[in-house]
Amino acid sequence: MWVPSVWEAQGLPEQKANMEQAIFYILSAVAVIGTILAISEKHPVHAILYLVTSLFAVAVIFYLLMAPLVAVFEVILYAGAIMVLFLFVIMMLDLGHPEKGFSPHWREWLPALLLSLVSIASLAVVIVSRHGQIIAPAAQSIPIREVARRLFQRHGVAVELISLQLLFALVGALYLGKQSSPAPGLQSPSHPGVGGGGEDKSP
Amino acid sequence: MIVPLEHILILAALLFFLGLGGLLAWRANLIMMLVCIEVMLNAVMLVFVGGSAQWGNADGQIFAIFIMALTSSEVSLALAMVVYLHRRKRTVNTDLFSEMKG
Amino acid sequence: MELYLAFILLFPLGGGFFNAIVGRKLPRGMSEAVACGVIWGSFICSVLAYFNFTGPIKIEYASWLTAFDFRAPIALYLDQLSLALTLMITFVCGLIHLYSIGYMKDDPSYARYFALLNIFVFAMLVLVLAENLPLLYLGWEGVGFCSYALIGFWYQEEKNATAGRKAFIVTRIGDTAFGIAMVWMYQLFGTLSITQLNGMGNLVPAGIVTGLGILLLIGATGKSAQLPLSVWLPDAMAGPTPVSAQIHAATMVTAGVYLLARMFPLIGASETVGAAIAVIGGGTAFYAATCACAQRDLKRILAYSTISQIGYMVLGVGAGALTAATFHLLTHAFFKALLFLGAGCVITALHHQQDIYRMGGLKSRLPAIYWPFLAGALCLAGFPGSGGFFSKDAILGAVFERGGVLYGSLFALGLFTALLTAFYTFRMLFVVFHGESHNPLPSREGGHSPLPPIMTVTLIPLALFGLLGGILDLPEYLGTSAFLSGFLGPVPGFAGLVQAVPGDEIALQIIAATTSIVGLGLAWSRYTGDRRATSLAMEEAGSPRSDFFLNGWYLDSLYRLLLIRPFVRLSGFLWKGIDGAVIDGTLDGLARFTARVGGVPAAWSSGRVVTSLFGLAGGVCVVLAYLAWLVLS
Repeated sequence: MWVPSVWEAQGLPEQKANMEQAIFYILSAVAVIGTILAISEKHPVHAILYLVTSLFAVAVIFYLLMAPLVAVFEVILYAGAIMVLFLFVIMMLDLGHPEKGFSPHWREWLPALLLSLVSIASLAVVIVSRHGQIIAPAAQSIPIREVARRLFQRHGVAVELISLQLLFALVGALYLGKQSSPAPGLQSPSHPGVGGGGEDKSP
Repeated sequence: MIVPLEHILILAALLFFLGLGGLLAWRANLIMMLVCIEVMLNAVMLVFVGGSAQWGNADGQIFAIFIMALTSSEVSLALAMVVYLHRRKRTVNTDLFSEMKG
Repeated sequence: MELYLAFILLFPLGGGFFNAIVGRKLPRGMSEAVACGVIWGSFICSVLAYFNFTGPIKIEYASWLTAFDFRAPIALYLDQLSLALTLMITFVCGLIHLYSIGYMKDDPSYARYFALLNIFVFAMLVLVLAENLPLLYLGWEGVGFCSYALIGFWYQEEKNATAGRKAFIVTRIGDTAFGIAMVWMYQLFGTLSITQLNGMGNLVPAGIVTGLGILLLIGATGKSAQLPLSVWLPDAMAGPTPVSAQIHAATMVTAGVYLLARMFPLIGASETVGAAIAVIGGGTAFYAATCACAQRDLKRILAYSTISQIGYMVLGVGAGALTAATFHLLTHAFFKALLFLGAGCVITALHHQQDIYRMGGLKSRLPAIYWPFLAGALCLAGFPGSGGFFSKDAILGAVFERGGVLYGSLFALGLFTALLTAFYTFRMLFVVFHGESHNPLPSREGGHSPLPPIMTVTLIPLALFGLLGGILDLPEYLGTSAFLSGFLGPVPGFAGLVQAVPGDEIALQIIAATTSIVGLGLAWSRYTGDRRATSLAMEEAGSPRSDFFLNGWYLDSLYRLLLIRPFVRLSGFLWKGIDGAVIDGTLDGLARFTARVGGVPAAWSSGRVVTSLFGLAGGVCVVLAYLAWLVLS
C-alpha cells in the first residue's frame, strides 16, 4: 500500500521535501549519538536501551525512505525481539552489575577508535568523490504489494531456505542451552533451553 | 529521495564503524561485542534500503528483511553459546578464552 | 571332431566351476557325482575322437591374444601323441576321482577338493591339446597352480602349506626358463604355433637351437622334478594320496616330457641338447633310485621312484627314442597311479600310518590291496612280461643303439638304476606286506576308518592295464606289429633316430630281465625270512650313509645354504636397512621437519578472537585508506 506523505496530501511538495530532510538529519543525529552512548556505556542494560533508541531512529529513517515494511520489522524484530533476547541473557547470567564488570580502558579504546576514524574518513572521501556519478531515476515509492510479490516470486526459494535456517538455529540453540549435567555453582533458576524460544519468527 | 544517496551512505558508514570500534574495544564483555555486531548489521540494512529507495527496486528491502531474519537466528545461537561459555568459566571476557592458541 | 575336443575340455572345466561355486551347498553325493561324471564324460569323448580320428587336425575355436602381429588363438591340435595322452589322462584321472570319493569321505572340504581336481584335469588337457605355446603355457601354469593348491590342501598344518609353496616356487624357476624360451622363439620366428615352429628349426644356427633347447629343458626339469629342480616332489607328498597319484605320478610330472617330445623337431636337431637331456634324465634316474632305497615313508619311496622313472623318460627323449619315452609314460601312468592308490589304501587301513617300519604282514590281512600292488611292483621293477618291462627296455635299447661314449655310459647307468629300482620296489613290497605284522590292524567295528570298497575296486583296472600294457608296443621278434610305434610314427620327430637291430634287441631284453630278477632276489634275501628282523633293525637305526640317501643327497640343505640363506639375509637388509631406515627415515624426517617449521608461526597466535578481529578491521582500514588516497591524489 503506498503510504502518501503527509505533505503530499496537502499538495505542498517543497515543504514536504524540506521537512523530510530535516527529520532525516535529526534522526541520523539521534542514531549516531545513541550508538556512541551504547558502545561506551558500562552498564550493559543501559547500553542496550540506548541501542534501542538508535534502532527506533533508524526505523523511522526507513519509513522516510519509503520502506515501511522494513521499518515495522525493524521495530518488531530488531528492537523488539533481539534486544529483548540480549536482556534475557544478561539477566540470566547476572551480568548486570557495573561495579563488578569492567569497561574498556582508554588504552583499549585507542586503536579501535583510530582504525574507525581513519576508515570513516577514507570512506567519506570516496563517497563524496563520486558525488555526481550516481544517476538515479525519479524517486518512486514501492508499494508493499510489489515488495511482497517480489519476495515470494523471485526470492521464494530463499524464503524457504531461511525458514529452514531458523529451524536449525532453533534446534541448535535448544541443544546448546540444555543443561545435561548440573553445572557447578550456577545459582540462577535454570530454565531448560535458553535461546530458542522467541526467535522462531519468519519475516 | 529525500536526501542524496551519499548522505545515507555516510550515515551508514558512521554507524558501521562505530560498531566496529566498539567490537574491537569491548573484549571485556562478549555480550557487548555481540551488540556491536548488531549495530554493524543494522548499518548494512540501512545501505540496502537506501539503495532500494534510490533505484526503485524492491530487492533492497527484501534483502534487508533477509538480514533481519538471519540475524535473529545468529543471535539466538550466539547467545546460547555465550551461556555455555559462561557455564564453563563463569566469565564472558573473551581474552580469557584462548585455548585455540597454537 | 570339434565338438568332441570342445567337450573334452569343457566337461572338466564346467565340473570344476560347478563344484567351486555351488559344491559346498549341495549334498556330498551330488558334488562327487558331478566331479566324476565330467571326467568320464571327457573320457567318452576322447574315445569317440579316437574312433573318428583320421589324421592330425588343427581346430581353431576363438581368438585369444592378439596384438599387432602376435596371434595366439584358442587352437587345439589333435595328433596321435595328444590323442594317446588325452585317453590316458582322462582314464586314469577318472579312476582316481572315483578313488577320491572313498578316500576323502570324511573330509569336510570336498567341494574345494573336487573343484581343484577337475580344474587340474582341464588344465592338463589344455596343455596336451594346445596348438600354440601360449595356450600350452596356460595349461602349464594351471596345473602348477592346482598342484600347489592340492599339495597344501590341508593348509591348516604349516608343513603342508610350506610344501605347496616349495613346489610352486621351484617349478617357477622352470616356468621362467620356459617363458624366456617362448619369447625368444617369437622374436626369432614370429610365430608361436607349435606346428609351425617345428618346421623352422633349420632357419637358425645350431647355437640358437641349443640355447632354446636348454631353456626348454630347464622348464621341463622344473615341472617334471628332474635334477636340479627335483626337491619339491618328495615334500609334495604332504597332499592327499589321490593327488599324489594323479598329479605327481601320472600327469603333471609328465608335462615336461611331453613338452620336450612335442618340441623335439625343433630342438632335437642339436646334438648338445639331446646329450644334455639324456644326461639329466639318466643322472636323475640314478640319483632318485639311490634315494628311494633308503626312505622309510611309503609315499616318499614312491615319490623318488617317480622322479627316477621320469628320468628314464627324459633319457629316452634325449636319445631320440620318443616313441619309447611315450610308451614308458603311458605305462608308468598306470602302474604308478596304481602304486600310489594302493599305498593310500594301506595308509588309510592302518589309520594314517606311513612309516614302513611300522607295517608288515599285510599280505594276509589286506589281500584286496596286495595283489594289485604286487602287479604294480612288478611293472615298476621291470619284471619280464609286465608292461613296465617292455617300456623300460625300449628306452634302454634305444640308448644302447645310439652308440658313442656318452650314451654307452648312460646305458650302463640306466641298467644299474634298473637294478636299484627292482631292489627298492621289492624292498617296499616285502617290508610292507610280508613278515609278521608290526601292530594290530584296526578292526572294522572298532570305530576306526574301514576301507571303503571303492578304493580297492579302482585298483583293478589299473593293475590290468599295467600288466597288459606291454601289448601296446611289443618288439618285433615276438611277431606282432608294434602298435604304438605305428600309431605314433607319423608324429614329427617320432620316427626314431635309430632302428633297433633284432639281435641286439633280444640280448638287451635278456639283460634287462636278468637285472630285474637279480634285484628281486636281493630284496627277497634281505627282507624276508630270517634276515628280515636284523635288516629292519639296522635300517631303522640309521647310519650316516643311509642318512645321506634318506635326505636326498642333502640337496635341500645345499640349496638352503647356497640360495635361501643369502636371499633371506639380503631381503632382511633391504627391509630393515633400506626400506626402514632410509626410505621411512627420510619421509618421517621430512614430516617432522615440516611439523616443526609449521610450529613456529603457530606459536605466534594468541588464541583470542580479538586478535583476528583487529586483523580484519586493520585490513579494511588499509584498503579504504588506499582508495581514498587514490581519490585524493
